[in-house]
Amino acid sequence: MDYDAQLKLQAWLDGELPEPDTREMAKRLERDAEAAALARELRNTRQALAGLEADVRLPESREFFWSKIERELRRLETPGPERASSPLLARWRRFLVPASGIALVGFVGLLALQQGGGLRLSGGTEMETTLADTGAFTYRDYSAGATLVWLSYPAEDEAADDEVGIVE
Amino acid sequence: MGLNSHGFPTVEPMTVKDYSSADDQSLVRAAQRGDMAAFEELVARHRDRIYARAYSMMRNEEEAIDLAQEAWVKGWQRLRQFQSESSFGTWMTRIVINLCLDQLRKQKRQRTESIEALDEESGGVERQMPVVTVNPTAGLERAELRRRIDRALGQLSYEHRTVLVLHEFEEMEYKEIARTMGCSIGTVMSRLFYARRKLAALLADLKKQDLV
Repeated sequence: MDYDAQLKLQAWLDGELPEPDTREMAKRLERDAEAAALARELRNTRQALAGLEADVRLPESREFFWSKIERELRRLETPGPERASSPLLARWRRFLVPASGIALVGFVGLLALQQGGGLRLSGGTEMETTLADTGAFTYRDYSAGATLVWLSYPAEDEAADDEVGIVE
Repeated sequence: MGLNSHGFPTVEPMTVKDYSSADDQSLVRAAQRGDMAAFEELVARHRDRIYARAYSMMRNEEEAIDLAQEAWVKGWQRLRQFQSESSFGTWMTRIVINLCLDQLRKQKRQRTESIEALDEESGGVERQMPVVTVNPTAGLERAELRRRIDRALGQLSYEHRTVLVLHEFEEMEYKEIARTMGCSIGTVMSRLFYARRKLAALLADLKKQDLV
């Protein structure tokens, strides 16, 4: 009996063989003693397993088992610790922190210029102010009522120095 | 039954007596509305079956308890997805089977396969096994039969044991087992054949030991 025939015999026992093959297998079992012996063995094994699980019991009391499940469900309901930042967010932070720092310096510089610089501003004029240390330039158009702060990072003076240094 | 301010029927909360006398469907509906006591009743009713399935697959009491517990937690979390296409017990059993399979696959990756398991995978061993002509379990008491089968099942690889468990205990068809285990129907047939023949041989060996 080849392997395919053995698997067909098993499928026949399991009720998974198509109808024409079923009749053929039944005939074979009548004349083939080896096939009949194998069918008997497979049947015995199946019968030995039948109903075997009926007596299996969880070795924990109802209350104890439920208390563990309930604790886990309650734990999952409460908000957990904050999730770690994603790499994308971390990259944005690396960019935003210095950028916002520079913007703040520019803003403070602008305030200082307006309050302590003693500049008389007349309507319709345009001014340009350079803050040497920060590399910030402020343009203000009073006629339009607009202020533009130009920030360069690193400061242009430093960059210029670097360039000179490189040329030398 | 009245209507609430949103126009939906109001549902009276169940009493302890209601829980124990309610059918599974009513308990599931109550649990789907967030009634944890109804879910507790479902756990109490089906815990043995879920544990038995986990144990038959894992062959380890502690792991089976942990996985059964995990299955119940998952069951609660996915309860809204339960559509009553099968019984609640069957639905929960599918959850624990999948958890056990995941766990067994993890364990398999972590350990070196035994020579026997490699033999099984390469196939052909079962073809040379002599047919067991005498029923090796005839006349055994139920407790003894269980002990022997437990021992024999423990000697099968998890793939063979699982196919056997799904077919014999869960009464799944070949194609359903193939879908659950992520393999072909041919593989299921082959594994089932090996598992049965090996089990018969192991039980016959135990019977021979009795006679000596």
